[in-house]
Amino acid sequence: MEEKDFIQNLLNPKTQNEAFQKLLLDYQKPLYNHIRNIVLSHDDTDDVLQNTFVKVFQHLNKFKGESKLFSWMYRIATNEAITFLNKKAKQSGTTSSFLQTKILENLESDCYFDGDAIHLKLQKAIFKLPEKQQLVFKMRYFEEIKYEDMSEILGTSVGALKASYHHAVKKIEIFMIKD
Amino acid sequence: MNDFKINSKHKIDSGFKIPEDYFENFSEKVLLKISKPEPKVVTLFYKTKTWISSVAAVLVISLSVTLFTKIAVKSTEEKLTLENYITNQSEISQYDLVALLDTKDIERIKIDLKLDDKKIEEELINSSEIENYLTE
Repeated sequence: MEEKDFIQNLLNPKTQNEAFQKLLLDYQKPLYNHIRNIVLSHDDTDDVLQNTFVKVFQHLNKFKGESKLFSWMYRIATNEAITFLNKKAKQSGTTSSFLQTKILENLESDCYFDGDAIHLKLQKAIFKLPEKQQLVFKMRYFEEIKYEDMSEILGTSVGALKASYHHAVKKIEIFMIKD
Repeated sequence: MNDFKINSKHKIDSGFKIPEDYFENFSEKVLLKISKPEPKVVTLFYKTKTWISSVAAVLVISLSVTLFTKIAVKSTEEKLTLENYITNQSEISQYDLVALLDTKDIERIKIDLKLDDKKIEEELINSSEIENYLTE
């Protein structure tokens, strides 16, 4: 089905339910991975993923088809995840980066994390990067999102994204060799 | 690990695991949330908001009333002490004060007695001291 027709089905009250269920099934896994890479814990990801789909549903009629449905949904998920982290940090009276350190420390004992030394080290290496580079690296390396799509999601040029990823890889490699 | 290369064939995954059956009932959870939005959270917040603003309003009003009356009382007290000072302590005489009045002030302190001639005449005739006045 063409994306245009699918969006029409999403907006039409008669076909909306069925179309939205399909949207859920198609996107729940990739969006889960995307959010999980940002917020790290499974429980937080569950919250953010639910909020993302609720927001997508509420804003369906505002979707103008200027961008792809795919990048529109990823954009909402990214915003939700970042807002969630900031809100959580504010509630506990710390900064978002301090909160991330705490979450990273807890990863070791997280039963939904493969506690291998190499996995943990890679997460720590990513955490050392500037925020934007973290996001670009995770989206390219773990999620294998194309630069063109990433550009639409993050509103950054492909060239800048490639440069960001290149810097990120260099820094991570150095960190991974150390001790 | 001296030759660590991030884009090598052996890619490291993120290490995150998803609980089993997580996605089996995920869409149900979302659909339930959509059909039943949570207005309670909103109203509770809204209520506390109105509560806070009404408490603030009451505080502001009560404070301003007490402050205003205090200031008002203070100013009348000050006026009295000033008057007493002028009459008792200072060397300003009545004549000095009169000299300070301008025509506007005089206009203001004029009292209209509304006397007409007939009444004055009657009063004068009935009064026993009329002759004294006349001789004067």
